[in-house]
Amino acid sequence: MDGLRDLVAACREGRAPYQSLVDRVPYANFLGIEITARGEELTFVLPQRDTNLGNPTLPALHGGAVAGFMEQAAIIFLLLEMGEPRVPKTIDFTMDYLRAGLFRDTFAECRVTRLGRRVANVHISAWQGRRAEPIAIARAHFLLSEENAEA
Amino acid sequence: MNRLDICRRFVASVRHSVELGIEVLEAGDNNVRTRMASRPELVGNPDTGVLHGGAVFALMDQAGGLANACTIFPEFEITPTIDMRVDHLRAPATGKAVICDAECYRLSQHVAFVRMTVFEEGDEQGEPLATGLATYMRMKLPGARRVVE
Repeated sequence: MDGLRDLVAACREGRAPYQSLVDRVPYANFLGIEITARGEELTFVLPQRDTNLGNPTLPALHGGAVAGFMEQAAIIFLLLEMGEPRVPKTIDFTMDYLRAGLFRDTFAECRVTRLGRRVANVHISAWQGRRAEPIAIARAHFLLSEENAEA
Repeated sequence: MNRLDICRRFVASVRHSVELGIEVLEAGDNNVRTRMASRPELVGNPDTGVLHGGAVFALMDQAGGLANACTIFPEFEITPTIDMRVDHLRAPATGKAVICDAECYRLSQHVAFVRMTVFEEGDEQGEPLATGLATYMRMKLPGARRVVE
């Protein structure tokens, strides 16, 4: 956890690329997640990759890959949002699929709806062509207890 | 071709599920049992080695689609997910394969309703590590059956 705390601080201060928060998570690399930043505004990218394909008749992205991408985006977003970072553990994740995820790059942005002492509520939106036409939206709760940060 | 054959062919056609290593163990009238082996690339927390919630979500979503296929059998339809909620009841034990049971408890004309439960392998009678609830759209695409033939 100390390593992670230092890394989060380094990313915030511009001493380390945001991408280093992705690179330490094996599953995030498995999906191929990238982060782009404009100032402090983060956009998460799930690049077009064969290995994230689902339905063979369309072809469309696997809904699970898109959900995993959005969950990981929310975790990194929360880490950077908290004054004192604690490892967010997913309590629940609710996904609404609005459009087929086509075989192309997918983007996501996050909004912390409520950051409490122990629980955070995060909204995540994912799009491909236009931000205003999301392919999926999700809502998740994360547990932030100190106890878990030490685990 | 029985339900299990259809489910296995279906999973084999879904690239990301193959990448995740999802296997179909059993297929019933409206339910399936699936398995995902523990692999280093699916770890979500590098400090603890715990499986990523996203990988569990993907397994559950796939298992739900298979439960639909079992219920719709002997016909075959593509059933994209409308929505799905997962509750992570506790952290999975590290290094263990996980099992996901999915059951389509209601198939209406246009929508399939599914619930899922996830356990560690060998602990199917114990405390589940995740539960899920999802709805799927019955997309009656002509030629969908080619996927499993």
